[in-house]
Amino acid sequence: MSHNASPHDEVPAELAQNVWLTTLAKLDPIYNWGRAYSLWPLTFGLACCAIEMIATGAARYDQDRFGAALFRATPRQADMMIVSGTVTKKMAPQIVRIYNQMPEPKYVISMGACANGGGPFKEGYNVVSGIDKFLPVDVYIPGCPPTPQALLLGIIRLQEKIKGQSLATVPWYREEIPLDALPMPILGPDIVAPPQLPQIEELLAMARAGQITDLTDIGTKPKPKHPPKAPKPPTWDITPTAEATQLAAEINRALPAEAVTVEGNTLIVDRAHLVAFGQHVRDTLHYELLSNVTGVDYLGRTPDRFEVVYHTYSISQPQKPVLTFKARCPEGNPEIPSLYGLWKTCYLQEREIYDLYGINFPGHPNLKRILLWEGFNGHPMRKDYNEAYFEEQAKPFSSRHPKGEHFRAEKNNPFGRNVVYPADWDLAQWQAEAEESIQHVIDSRDIKQHMDFDTDRVVINIGPHHPSTHGVFRMVVTLEGETIVDLEPILGYLHRNHEKIGERNGWLMNMPYTDRLDYFNSMLNNWGYALLVEKMTETTVPERAEYIRVIVGEMNRLVSHISLLGFLMNDLGALATPLFYAFEVRERVLDLFEELSGSRLMCNYMRFGGVAYDVSTDWLARAEQVTASMQEALDELDNLMTGNEIVLSRTKDVGVLSAAELISHGVTGPLLRAAGVKYDIRKVEPYGIYSRFDFDIPTMPDSDLFCRFYQRVLEGRESLKILAQAFKGIKDTPPGDIMGGKASYTIRVPAGEAYARIEHSKGELGYYAISAGATNAWRYRVRSPSYINLNALADICKGNKVADAIVALGATDIVLGEVDR
Amino acid sequence: MFGLGIVKGLAITLKHFIDTFVDDAKYSFNSTTNQKAFESRQGTSGIGLFTIEYPEKKLPTPERFRYIPFLVTDYEVPLHDPALDPNSPQFNHTKWVEAHRFTQEKWESLPGYTYEKWVELHHCTGCGICSKVCPPQCIWITQASDPKTNKPVSKSKAFYIDLDMCMSCGFCAEFCPFETIRMDHDYELADFEREEGHVHDYFRLTKPISYYATIRPAQAAQDEADRRQKAEDEKRKAEEKARKAAEKATAEAKSATAAPPPTADKPAPAKRTPEEIQAQREAMQAKKATPAPAPEAAPPPAAEAKPAPAKRTPEEIQAQREAMQAKKAAREAGEKK
Repeated sequence: MSHNASPHDEVPAELAQNVWLTTLAKLDPIYNWGRAYSLWPLTFGLACCAIEMIATGAARYDQDRFGAALFRATPRQADMMIVSGTVTKKMAPQIVRIYNQMPEPKYVISMGACANGGGPFKEGYNVVSGIDKFLPVDVYIPGCPPTPQALLLGIIRLQEKIKGQSLATVPWYREEIPLDALPMPILGPDIVAPPQLPQIEELLAMARAGQITDLTDIGTKPKPKHPPKAPKPPTWDITPTAEATQLAAEINRALPAEAVTVEGNTLIVDRAHLVAFGQHVRDTLHYELLSNVTGVDYLGRTPDRFEVVYHTYSISQPQKPVLTFKARCPEGNPEIPSLYGLWKTCYLQEREIYDLYGINFPGHPNLKRILLWEGFNGHPMRKDYNEAYFEEQAKPFSSRHPKGEHFRAEKNNPFGRNVVYPADWDLAQWQAEAEESIQHVIDSRDIKQHMDFDTDRVVINIGPHHPSTHGVFRMVVTLEGETIVDLEPILGYLHRNHEKIGERNGWLMNMPYTDRLDYFNSMLNNWGYALLVEKMTETTVPERAEYIRVIVGEMNRLVSHISLLGFLMNDLGALATPLFYAFEVRERVLDLFEELSGSRLMCNYMRFGGVAYDVSTDWLARAEQVTASMQEALDELDNLMTGNEIVLSRTKDVGVLSAAELISHGVTGPLLRAAGVKYDIRKVEPYGIYSRFDFDIPTMPDSDLFCRFYQRVLEGRESLKILAQAFKGIKDTPPGDIMGGKASYTIRVPAGEAYARIEHSKGELGYYAISAGATNAWRYRVRSPSYINLNALADICKGNKVADAIVALGATDIVLGEVDR
Repeated sequence: MFGLGIVKGLAITLKHFIDTFVDDAKYSFNSTTNQKAFESRQGTSGIGLFTIEYPEKKLPTPERFRYIPFLVTDYEVPLHDPALDPNSPQFNHTKWVEAHRFTQEKWESLPGYTYEKWVELHHCTGCGICSKVCPPQCIWITQASDPKTNKPVSKSKAFYIDLDMCMSCGFCAEFCPFETIRMDHDYELADFEREEGHVHDYFRLTKPISYYATIRPAQAAQDEADRRQKAEDEKRKAEEKARKAAEKATAEAKSATAAPPPTADKPAPAKRTPEEIQAQREAMQAKKATPAPAPEAAPPPAAEAKPAPAKRTPEEIQAQREAMQAKKAAREAGEKK
């Protein structure tokens, strides 16, 4: 639509004389009435806002009352696109493609700050500053995220707009207005809008001729008065601890050379001996779980600028403390041997480091970019990489106060967008390689024959906007008949540069950003991050705040599990009914969260040393009632589905993967426990006050889809047990005592590093940070359970039918905000 | 028996279907207009129809609900329409919210409006803490300056919030030291363009304190109490200062003329005497030595100072606050060098 977007179009003079058309115009009320109340939205959600969109479609807000909730799974049948969430550069071409496939008349609602203009992630290198850069938008809904009622108002506004149109002037019946497909953006060194190509070429030519030095410098970008100081790499006390020294000596005896040195309580491993060291750690020391692998850039440190940090835990001897080791490599030769042969979890984790830091891992089976696309220019997590909208190394920016005049970052960029292209980019010779590289991976695989008879192999693509991929996730599946022989997950469609932005943010500023990781579990995300900073600053949390954290955290876990049961049934084909039941109880919990913290979804509730607000007795009483209704809902969903023969036949003995394999893949949480492994961080490394509560670690024996599904029911029951004890315990704590330490917005964290982890509803949620003693982090990393659990997806799906892949993905329980970060 | 599970499941969905009518019967099948039915069904538990008939009926927003920030002013806006009076039975919430969306023109059209008065009554001091704590950096503030001396004064000249960046986290409201920036409840903002409409300027952001007291009554009352306390503290401090000055004056009668003017009015930074600057500098240095961030620097004084916070007098708190602000100003000045 929007080719002539004014809601009250006048009939042009030459048309007004046309008798036929003016007669037609009398039909407008009927014509508009029909279109306004049959808006068929496309099943399509991008990020956090999509969850509010689902809530709007569910029973409480009932979008259907407006004739606008028949969510269509194909763009061919839809006429309303709700762009709900952050538009990333990687996703933008897909959105335009889908839009082009929708028939006229079609309407676009831009929902939320991100879709409108980039939102809080605007500065990120993979974020488009507003979908209106690529699509014509009819209605904008501000908010982060807009509440369901705000979305309903957006739909009402769209209907008003439609009612103002005239049959005589609408563009889709007028031959003189061509309705060509919009040009698809291309993924080059950065995203390229085809109409901009001549301009890009011109500017690049100027740059090559030496007329411009830095393409980001063109324009009137306000410069900080003083050039930024070169950041100093962090240093801290690295006196070896006795335990680490002893451990290193033991390992050195077993390895061929003096491979290990000690710094603090971490082991520094010579990269030449890393694989032998890893073998020893895994097999002799029984550190089976390589939980977190991450890169660090110590810009300015010589000789070894880059470092890869590994955090390992023992599952068979869970009382063993974390074993942290590091391998280093210089800038000129950034290579560290891959540990994929020992831990399959390295498949995704090393690829991420390769993508974001440019460190090579010889021995990795498929070292390609994962969050960005093949051909992207630069490695964005490097400390010397500055995005197109880069202002300063750390927030707050000096352009905001005391002489702050509003400006839009895109106005100061020569291309008017969040893009920057390398000056040596030769457009004539260039070909986009993003899609080809995926095809190349699939073709080069040595895929073994699974079946006795010969069929042609078919590669099909599921996602990134597929209704069953739980967000913008893509699976490229190779099939023989209906059987999956290979599956390649393709990520990054919601890569919002959480870590890069997080390293610029002050420590406290990251708290609301963590809400947007797993947008079903903002309380748990907050908790993990608060725990990390409390660990680094040695802050204690008052007893009452600890109880409140347990209450809100466990309620959040329950809601997450109950919602998952609904979504899983949706994936099995039980369209919407179980999901609506699940969302009913979810809404009641969100009401409580909203009352307590101010927001339904993005609670931003925890602070370092406590929580933001105290709970009232009245709130606690109602929370107890809601907990009782959650118990009922859980039992009801259990009764509704567990005995159902269709559910059983679809899930029993499907997607089996052994516990050892799952551990190798780095899988944690309900998935691992559904394979019979009793491993729960609340028990093995209790944080907060979990050691006081009496609860069990439930497990399921078979590690199939049914076990994964039922594991959630069992864990929900344990959460109810914890909640009952917490409601009792909090009564003995003094009201108001919720904050340890002072509430300050600029905290400085002592130089050093820390890794903190909690049992999230999806597995181990870990936060790793390095502080240089400043107001912002030097390195900030989120070890997200959804991302790492995806490692195992291909092995879970192989040999099963393609329809089972959808359920297997559903049972893995991913949230894309957390997968792509 | 095969199929029993499916039958059991269908029984549950049937129960949900029947529940709606059972609950409806309680309200003589007239539940859509019954407020009690609405509250019970939207409450902690409750069966039956869960749907809210938006826009005819809206879910009440809890006090802490946060959407987009706004600024509080003492400038009162006369609203004569009974539909805009929260205490009137004809009160129309939607209209009332709409009436509080201001623009520069709308403010200027108010009888008796002058810009000077408007700024004077505005709570914002332009300290910029909200823009510093803002995670996506969506707040822009220009501090006002005295037209004669060109020195900054504690008022804002321009204030912008970019709605297309704001993440509604509420930090600005949480850390505002002057109870000015607060989170609004107005979520019905869908519109057709964003280039101008989504940048809220000083006039668009500002709303009268009566609006604030209506949407967030408990917090507004708390703020009011805080402000009264602050004013009292200031008064007492001024008296204390005057008393001390008087003592000093009597003790040092010979140099009475040279004594620094210990008057109650705030000394403008430009007029500070060298002695004052020196004293402040010393206070800053003393302050720098004591706080926690450098534990190895002077642990014994820190330990001694620790029990103090509970027993501090309001004067001390005020003095410390001032010292901190001075320190911060100095630090910022240093950063800009």
